[in-house]
Order: sequence, then C-alpha cells, then structure tokens
Amino acid sequence: MHLFRILFFYEWRHFRAARGLVLLCGLLLATGLYGIYYGTTEIARQRTQLAALPELTRRNVAELQVKFPGPADAGDIGYYHSTFAVHHPDPWAALSLGLRDVNPSYVKLRLLGLHNQLYATDNANPMKLLSGNFDLAFVLVYLLPLLIIALGFNLLSAEREEGILTLLLAQPVRPLTVVAAKLAFRLALVLGLAGLLSVVGMLWAGVPLDGRVASWLALTVLYCLFWFGVVLVVTAWQRPSAVNAVALLGVWLVLVVLVPSLLNLSVAAARPVPQGLELTIRQREEIHAGWDKPKTETMNRFFALYPQWRDTATIRERFVWRWYYAFQHLGDQAVASQAAAYARGLQARYNLVEQLNLLSPAINAQSSFNALAGSDLPTHLAFQRSATRYHDALRAFYYPFLFRKTEFTHADYAREPTHSFTSPPELTTAQHGLLKLLLSVAAVCGLGLLLLRLRPITPR
Amino acid sequence: MIRSIAQKEFVSTLRDRRFAVLSALVLVLLLAATLVGRASFRTLQRERQTAQGTVNEQFRNQPARHPHRVAHYGSFAFRPKSGLSLLDGGVDSFTGSAVYLEAHQQNSVNFSQAQQSGSLIRFGEMTVAFVLQLLVPLLIIFLCFGAFTQERETGTLKLLLSQGVSMRQVAWGKIAGYGQAVALVVTPALVLAAALLFTGEEFASNTDLVARLALFGLGYAVYFFLIVVGSVVVSARQSSSRTALVLLLGLWILGGIILPKATANLGATLYPTITKAQLDADVHEAAQHGIDGHDPHDKRAEALKANLLKKYGVDSEEKLPVSLAGVQMAAGEEYSAKVYQQHFAELNATYERQNRLSDWAGLLNPYQAIRPLSMGLAGSDFAHYVHFQQAAEAYRYALVQRLNGLQAGMGYGDKERRLDAATWRELPVFAYQAPAVGWALPRLLLPVAALLLWAAGLSWLGLRLISKSSVE
Repeated sequence: MHLFRILFFYEWRHFRAARGLVLLCGLLLATGLYGIYYGTTEIARQRTQLAALPELTRRNVAELQVKFPGPADAGDIGYYHSTFAVHHPDPWAALSLGLRDVNPSYVKLRLLGLHNQLYATDNANPMKLLSGNFDLAFVLVYLLPLLIIALGFNLLSAEREEGILTLLLAQPVRPLTVVAAKLAFRLALVLGLAGLLSVVGMLWAGVPLDGRVASWLALTVLYCLFWFGVVLVVTAWQRPSAVNAVALLGVWLVLVVLVPSLLNLSVAAARPVPQGLELTIRQREEIHAGWDKPKTETMNRFFALYPQWRDTATIRERFVWRWYYAFQHLGDQAVASQAAAYARGLQARYNLVEQLNLLSPAINAQSSFNALAGSDLPTHLAFQRSATRYHDALRAFYYPFLFRKTEFTHADYAREPTHSFTSPPELTTAQHGLLKLLLSVAAVCGLGLLLLRLRPITPR
Repeated sequence: MIRSIAQKEFVSTLRDRRFAVLSALVLVLLLAATLVGRASFRTLQRERQTAQGTVNEQFRNQPARHPHRVAHYGSFAFRPKSGLSLLDGGVDSFTGSAVYLEAHQQNSVNFSQAQQSGSLIRFGEMTVAFVLQLLVPLLIIFLCFGAFTQERETGTLKLLLSQGVSMRQVAWGKIAGYGQAVALVVTPALVLAAALLFTGEEFASNTDLVARLALFGLGYAVYFFLIVVGSVVVSARQSSSRTALVLLLGLWILGGIILPKATANLGATLYPTITKAQLDADVHEAAQHGIDGHDPHDKRAEALKANLLKKYGVDSEEKLPVSLAGVQMAAGEEYSAKVYQQHFAELNATYERQNRLSDWAGLLNPYQAIRPLSMGLAGSDFAHYVHFQQAAEAYRYALVQRLNGLQAGMGYGDKERRLDAATWRELPVFAYQAPAVGWALPRLLLPVAALLLWAAGLSWLGLRLISKSSVE
C-alpha cells in the first residue's frame, strides 16, 4: 500500500510536469463551464420566452374586448382567441438539453381542429439544430472520453519506449501495482473534474436536491469507469503508444459516432413511422368537406360523441358556430387513430433504441441524462398528450356557450382553462441506463483484468 | 526525385497492413453511405412526390365552392430533395419537408426527420459528407503523422538528405505519395456515387448536377490536400511520432467537433431568435393597425370602398360590378403578405447573422469551410431552403390572389354563390424548380476563399517551416 502511495504521488509530479496534459484538463474544464453556461442560458431563454406567452394572450383578449365590447357570440371568441399550452423545462434540462431545441416548448391553440395546430414548429435555425447543443451532457459524453484516452493511451507504453519500465520493474514492485497506481491517479483526476463540473452545473442550474443528484453522479462515474476499462484493455494488450492511440480513438469513433448513426438508420428502417403529413392532409380533407355535407348528418355524428347536446335546437341557419366547431372536431376524430399511430411509432422507435443502446455506452449515457432531465422524446409526447387534454378542456368550456346559446361576457375570459406542463423525469429509463452502464463497465474491466492475467507485463 | 519519393511512400503505404485495414473500412463506409443515401433519397423523394400529387389531385377535384373557401382549403408545398443531397444531407433533416399554404397567413415548414429520430440524430448522420469531412481526415492523420518523425526515429532522414534532396523536395514527395493513397480510397466511392446519380432516371443528362458534382469533388480534393500538407508539416515540426499524432488528433477534435458546435451555439446566444408566437403577434399587430401604426384596418377598408365607388361612378355597394368583399380580401392579402415578408426577412437575417459566425470560423478551421461548401453544392444548405420557402410563398400569394380575383369577379352578393368545380382545374399547381449552381456559387464565396487560403497558406508557410525544421 505504501508503494502504491509513492507511485500515485510520482504520477502527480509527472502530470504537473507534462504541460500538455495540464492544458488539456484546463481545456476540458473550460469547455465544461461553457457547456454549463450555454445550457443554463438556453433554458433561461426558453423560460423567458414561455413567460412572455401569457402577455400575448392578454393582448389578444384586450383586442377582442375592444372588437366585441358587449356580450359576444362565443363562436367568434373561440375563433379569434388563442391561448398556449406550455411545456416548462425542468431545472435539470439546463445540463442536458436533449430535444428541447428540435421540439417546440409551446403550442398555440384556438378552438379549431387540434391536429393542424399540434405539430406546428417554433422558429429555429436549421444550421444551429444541425450543429446541436453544447451542454454539460455533451462535454461529459463526447469529450470526457477523449481526455481519458489522452491521459491513458501511453500508460505503460511511454515508460517502455523511454526505457524506464525496465528500471521500474527491476524494483521490488509488482507490475499490476504500477498499472493500478497509474490508473487510480488518472481516475481520481478525471472523476474530480467530472464531479466538479457536475456539481458546478447543478448549483448553477439550481436543481432540486433529490435522488437525481445521486443518479447523475452515478451515471457520470460509471461512464468514466467504462472508458478507463477500455484503457485498461488496451494497456493490457501492450502495444506501442501510437497503436494504442489509434485503437482507443477507434473505439471512441465506433461507440460515439458510428454505432449511433448506424443505429439511427436501422431503427428508422425497422420501425417506420406513419408520416405525420398524411395525417394533416387527411384532416384538412375531412374538415373542409364539413362545409359541403348536410348539416344534420354532421350534427348527428357529433351527437353520437356528445349525447349531452343532442336536445339542442336543430340548425336551420346558413352558418352557425356550433356546427362549424362540430365539423372541426369531427376532422380531428377522423384522424385520431392515425395520430395515435404516429405517436406510437415515435415511442416504438425510442423503445427500440433503449433496448439497443447496450451496444454503445455513449448513447446509453446520453439518453439516461436526457431521461433525468426530462428533455427526451417521451416527455415531448407526454406534453403533446397534455396539450390534447387542454384542447379538450377548452372545447368543454366553450360547448355550453355554443349549444345553450349563452353569451360570452368579458368576465368569461378569466374563467377559461389555462395550461401548464413541466417535464417529468423518466426515472425508470435512467435506472435501466445505470444498470446497462454497470454491465458495460463489468464487461470491459473483466476483459482488461483477464488480459493482464494472460499476458504478463514485460519491460520491453 | 520528388516522383520517386512519392512512389516509395505510395507503395509502402499500400504495403502497410494498418493502412489497408483502415482504408478498406473507410471505403466500405463510403460505399455504404452512398447506397444508404440513395435509398433514403428515393424513399423520401417518392413520399413527397406522392404527397404532392395527392394534394394537387385533391385541389383539382374539389366540388363547387366559394373561392374564399378554396383559399382557406389551401394547398401544400413539398420540398423535393435535391439530387446531390444523397451525398450531403445538410440541414435537410432539420428543416421539415412540407408547408401548408393558406389564405391570410404564412405557416412554418413542419415535420422534420429530426423530430422523428429522437436523441440519436444528435450523434450525427451517416452520410457520404460525414465520412469525407471527418473520417477521411482521420485516415490521413493516421497515414501522415509519422511522415518525418519516423524517418527521424529510424535515422533514414539523414541518409535521404545526403542524396542531395532538400527537405522541401522530400515533403512534396511525401505529400504526392499520400495524396495518391487517399485518392485511391476516395475516388471509387465518388465514381460510384456519380454512376448511381446518372443512371437513375431522375437525373439523366442533367448538366447542373454534373457541374455540382464536379465542384463537389474538386472542393474535397482541395480539402484533403490541405489536410495532407498540414499533417506532414506537423510531423516535420515534431520530434516524436507520438506527439505528432496526439497533436493532430487534438486538432481534429477541436476542428471537427468542438468548434462547429461552439460557434453555432455562440451565434444563437449573440443573436437570439424571436419565437413563432411573438412573430405571429407582431405580424397580426402590424396587419391590424398598419405597418407604421397609423393606418388601422377599418380605415383602409373604408378608403378602398370609397375609391371603388368613385371609380365605377356608383353610390352603393350593390351597384358595383365587382364584389367589394373580394377586392377587400385581395387588398388585405397584399398588405398582410407584405408584413409577413418583412418579418420573415428579419427572421432570416437573424439566422444569417448566426450562421455567418460559423462561416467566418472557416478561416480558422477548414472543416467549417468545407461543410458549408459541400452542402451548398449539394443543394441542402440554408440558402437553398430559404429559396424553397420563398418559392412556396410566391405560389401561395399568387394562388390566393387569383382566388380573390375570382371572388371579386362574382359581383355583389358573392357569399351566397359558388363557382363551378371545373374552375379549380384551371389553377396552376405548385411545382418547385431548385436553383442552378450559378445561383449557389456566389453565396459560397467565403467558404471557397477560406479553403483556398488554407491550401495556399499551408503549402507556402508550411513548406517554409519544413525546410527550416531540424533533421535530427
């Protein structure tokens, strides 16, 4: 143990002397801090944007109150009045932005058909989306392994190439102790950096101190351990530094770049998603055909869904709002199964990736971080379901006005339902992610130790 | 002498098993990416063509309707994939493929592939451009990092120089030799891509595509050249192979992964994007109360009515030969379209400002020069996307105004009447013609200049450095 301490200490002195490595650690720290800064400002911006939405609704109401000074027909209000279903970010999202830039964080809703409103995107620069987010999760998942590779690619080979290993092993020290001390030093360094960044990130983002803190840290530690396991395997293989570097970078490339993009292709092929477009085209067809169909036919179909309005007056007018909103809703009904299939298809893709991400700890770590932060696809689908329920609530609010012919007064604006949705974390996904990471760590570390046992460390 | 050094490097590279394995891997990836790109290109193209056909048919086969109902029924514009997008998908996965065209408003382009891919798309897409831009440089690094260091380590550099060649000649010989080896890996894939492109019936005898493909190949040739030169220079300036390799890999990571993301994110921070909700509210505000805030909608309508009555010399709306509602609709559309154009121009200007940061970074980082050049030539960059948006808007505006014209022609009391179903068959359908390469090139001057500067600068400065570097 004493020997281990000496070796550990000398590693520290070596490290301080190697200016390149210190620089590299500093660079990682700097990029990590930028990642945290970018993530928190991005979430702060989204919060500000979401906070501005009630004001837009208020202005819309004020305008309508001028336009309809007295009691109004609720149909007019439903047509011109818009509100928002909002998807508030969890504080954790600042550390792992996930899909929060690709998917809109609010949906603007009017009383009209839901589906041509639900899928509207927010303004986004496609070039920015293509480049992706620079958040803490990116630094941890992409860049931290590179630091580990830079620190570990010449663990023994440098000593061998410089002729020091012969001298070192001539001392009364077991080669395994040397490897262990070197790895332990680097592990302490990397875990220190990753832990520091994570804690700074959590404090900066102001996350609630719940079980997710432990999950995040455990994910980070396991992910680092995995990469150290890979370094161990390559070290045990005992090749020259250049070969080690190529091999380690090759593993990084395969796990972080190639497997994800190939997986993306195969998942898209294995789980085809019915085009969302067909859905909106079909809905448009249904809704606009509503104008040309006999009113009684439309109303009878509507009453089958809402029997409570069956006893309302028969429509004889050329145009009346309750008929208009009835066929809008029937347009939604006509594509309900298609919409469900679309959401199911997306979820099925996600599930398949969840099953297959055992192939790449990088994907696993990324999706676990996103799951903790509630910034992944399932959360967006949950938000869309929530927005759908909100649309249902809006209709339920307006129907009595429309069918009982009650007038809509200025006081009624305040009684209108409002919507708020905050990302829930997907804890089971994160737990499964932890388990799978543990499995990957066990696999590489086992392989490394086995190799060390099979191939004794030689000085040359 | 240069030639024989080149020959030696080329032959010994081919004999190197590591290189053989790596280049075979890259070649397989390139070919796979080409085939996959073509398959997905075909599927997407077919889907969009079918969808466009469907909506066009639906539009033409509408029953008798009032023209304004048809204007609200509207149409869809689907963005066809550009021919070369099978090599470089660019921003296509993030832009959405269809826009709903209707009266009174301009909609967003919805349903992007990124929304359907989950987090995986964040790791990058397997395209030919991805292999060419990131993996081939990695191959070049592995190939060249020992160009001088290995000769130094084995002591052969001194022997070589004692033959009377200069360091500069050795360097050029090595660059030429490695260049041949890289060409050997990349050319088959590009030839296959060209063959696939020009045997498909979609592309037969398309000169624009030939020009784009040629420039595409040329651009990458310059890119690979400068990476070979850069790697050789680094190798000459470092004392050991290990440090040369680590330095080169560090540069690759910085240029290929960190900088592009950092500049894109920085751009978004510096020039924040307005939300769609805010933009819609601003447009609505301007359309209601006048662009300058003085001229409310009702006042404009009143003035229009008065003018119309005066023009036809009648005293009431009933006596007008045209429908006042239709004329007002047309004037309103003209006004709101103008307001939309103004706001969308501002939005696109914000995006351009965000992107310009990345484009200028091309002067620091060759990857950020080849990337915009590559997608610009492939027709999958932001400029091409905006071109489509504008074409769709031009069509929308023309269609809605034509329908408004039809409504105006129906005369007073038009609301109670409908136009015959045959009317809709005479209206033109949306057809998109992607711009030619001559349109794209002026927009790509900065990346082209950056790439050429890099190539020239490295050849000049780098080779000077090499001739000054030590032999030991």
